[in-house]
Amino acid sequence: MQQQSTNITQNEIMTTPPVMVTVKDSLYFTDMLSWNLLAMKKAHFYAQNAQDPAIKAQIEKCGQMHQRHYERILQHFNDNSQASMQN
Amino acid sequence: MKEYFNILTIIVKQACRINNSLVNGSFHTNSGKGGLLMNNNQSVQNPESQVPKTPQMNDRDFINDLLANEKYMTDSYSTALNEASNDVLYQDLLSIFTETQNMQRELYNFMFQHGWYKLESADTSKLQQSYQQFKGYSNQFPYGTSNLQ
Repeated sequence: MQQQSTNITQNEIMTTPPVMVTVKDSLYFTDMLSWNLLAMKKAHFYAQNAQDPAIKAQIEKCGQMHQRHYERILQHFNDNSQASMQN
Repeated sequence: MKEYFNILTIIVKQACRINNSLVNGSFHTNSGKGGLLMNNNQSVQNPESQVPKTPQMNDRDFINDLLANEKYMTDSYSTALNEASNDVLYQDLLSIFTETQNMQRELYNFMFQHGWYKLESADTSKLQQSYQQFKGYSNQFPYGTSNLQ
């Protein structure tokens, strides 16, 4: 469905926007990456300074989630090339 | 001077968007030891885990700050979701948003387990009063009341 994205003729109507990265998307990416980087660093720092092992573990779990999210969001910078490769 | 400091502490904590009647460790006195506490005011709370009350951040402060951070991030993801251009991006952000929202809940439950949140039950008669009041408004429904139980 999204594969029609780069070859749009006058007859074709796109029901949903094609896979692409808009200027606005990319600005949100950099924002979201920054939030997650700070969050994972903060969590790791807190975990290193926490006394209770249970709290330490919970905090590290939170930090690891933010690192995963960072990696996922980062991949969206490549959405443009993925779309063109599909065609 | 001590009271003034306490008030400032409350203001700072409110500014940090810490809600749900967080128990203030600096002057909260709770005699409940062991098991779930349900006193005359119908408040629900676990025994409070003790942390050092010093100027340095303690374990509870760490968790609390992460909780506030998760809340901030879900708010921000929500805005990004409203503005995402295509569906592939939207679905991935939605999944990231949900995981973050669930982490917020996990941290909240974790704090509740440690007795750092006290929940107060609402007065039963007032709940009934509100129920009756809003049940009365059902005659304003545009789709009839046949589906009501």
